[in-house]
Amino acid sequence: MAIIEVKGLSKNFKVKMKEKGLKGSIKSIFKPKYKIVKAVRNISFDVEKGEIIAFIGPNGAGKSTTIKMMTSILYPDKGTIKVMSYDPIKDRKKLSYEIGTVFGQKEQLWTHLTPYDNFKFFGAIYDLPDSVIEKKIEELNMLFELEEFINTPVRNLSLGQRIRCEIAAALIHEPKILFLDEPTIGLDPVVKENIRTFIKRMNKEFKTTIFLTSHDIGDIEKLCKRVIIINDGQIVLDDTMDNLKYHYLNKKIVEAKMKERINLDDEDGINILKDKGYNLKIEVDTTKRSVADALKLLNPDNIIDINISNIPLEDIISNIYKNKD
Amino acid sequence: MLTAAKNQLKVTKLSIKYAVMREMLNKTTFVSNIIFMILNNACMIIQWIVLFSLKDNVGGYTFQQILLLWGMSSGVYGVAHFFFDKAFSLANTINSGKLDAYIVQPKNVLLSAITSNVKVSAIGDIIFAFVMYFIYGFNITTFILYILFLITGGLILVAVSIIFNSLSFWFNNTDMVSDTVNSLMVNFSTYPEGIFKGITKILLFTIIPVGIANYIPIKIITEFNIYLFIINISVCLLLILISFIIFYKGLKKYSSSNLMSARI
Repeated sequence: MAIIEVKGLSKNFKVKMKEKGLKGSIKSIFKPKYKIVKAVRNISFDVEKGEIIAFIGPNGAGKSTTIKMMTSILYPDKGTIKVMSYDPIKDRKKLSYEIGTVFGQKEQLWTHLTPYDNFKFFGAIYDLPDSVIEKKIEELNMLFELEEFINTPVRNLSLGQRIRCEIAAALIHEPKILFLDEPTIGLDPVVKENIRTFIKRMNKEFKTTIFLTSHDIGDIEKLCKRVIIINDGQIVLDDTMDNLKYHYLNKKIVEAKMKERINLDDEDGINILKDKGYNLKIEVDTTKRSVADALKLLNPDNIIDINISNIPLEDIISNIYKNKD
Repeated sequence: MLTAAKNQLKVTKLSIKYAVMREMLNKTTFVSNIIFMILNNACMIIQWIVLFSLKDNVGGYTFQQILLLWGMSSGVYGVAHFFFDKAFSLANTINSGKLDAYIVQPKNVLLSAITSNVKVSAIGDIIFAFVMYFIYGFNITTFILYILFLITGGLILVAVSIIFNSLSFWFNNTDMVSDTVNSLMVNFSTYPEGIFKGITKILLFTIIPVGIANYIPIKIITEFNIYLFIINISVCLLLILISFIIFYKGLKKYSSSNLMSARI
């Protein structure tokens, strides 16, 4: 059974419009004009228990708005949401015992307190008895390797350590679903990798369903089996990661260092990306021409060095964003 | 229901405790904030000493009653700002989208939001309130009443602030309106009731209920009156109820925000 069910969800925002300059400001006091921004437009999807799902889209696509509606923060205009069969608006308190949230851009921890004190506070918020909180802290300490800084005030922690604590704090009440809104924003590659390992471990150990938004392709590629792409408030793709790659990976990038110059200008299925004399970078459309064919055109005897690669997932996704604009 | 209330109280207590702990990080500032607030209030009394050397009563108040009024008004302010300081900047919390963190927790959003900060100098106000009371004269009945009225007055101040700050859910940047009402509440509360007439007096018992929060208690402590007592308690409860209703009505309009922020 689906753990999250979203049907026909819509949300509009009323935004005040203002003409430029002081004159515009004065005019807007007496005759305010408003614009309706359709942040989320009739979206529907289900999430199964134990899934790690990537919910991605360009800035302003409606990701955060959708997450905020699922976590009771915003009231939807239309449509229904069921999270663990609770309605986020009617059953806010009941639902919040079942979910955890981490907003990478917003801090939930008290910065002057140590992670340990923070965990105690969060435990109390979820009505856990002290003995259970202590046990849980011990467990999270092991899982997220917090020993080194569990007694250092949060404001003295590095961003990476802080995010680890934020995620740990969101898990104190063993939520069934964890909403992660850009958890790796601003982190260095090593720390990012660390966080990803922790997220995976958590999914495996506690069977936590994870709903993740991120602009980091690494997060999506390494963590998620399913991806939902939202653009302009609408879902433009809802598919498995494998399918996404399979359907969109019909192009290969061939980079070659040549002995002699070669002209591929009018060849069908070949798109020249870069031509610097003896160094050539082309894109081969495998639906029109096989890679082997393209290599024949280059003439194997003429090649000093060659590299054949897939189009980076990042490009695929940004293409999807652009095409559906 | 009872367990839920107990748990809510536990979290509120913890929240205030942690907020005090934060303020205590810097011992010197902590202590000097309290002492200077007491001195600040005490300085204001000087003008009244001068006034009363010229006149026997001002606006129907004796000097003893003025001391009690000052004690009451700073105590009411102290209780409100020590326990619920964030109620006075709620509009900012709403506009900057900082309510998110409280909405995702299984506790009362309003209570969590307004108890997340304490104003240390308010301790000075509360101490000053008791010093003034003891100068006025101790008596066990009036002492209990005095404490009760500090609480009801503080809650009235908080409720009025919540009501005006909650307007931010509908109209942006209403900080100015709520700040003005808050400072009017404080300013009027330090003058004797008798000097106000007509519309001002009506306002003081309605929109800016200083009359209910400060003047009525002074009357009751000077001479007990059951009707005034009932008015004080019931207006306090009514305002709390209205503030919750307006806040939760507004919460439906809450639009959050994506501002980068930290909980400091």
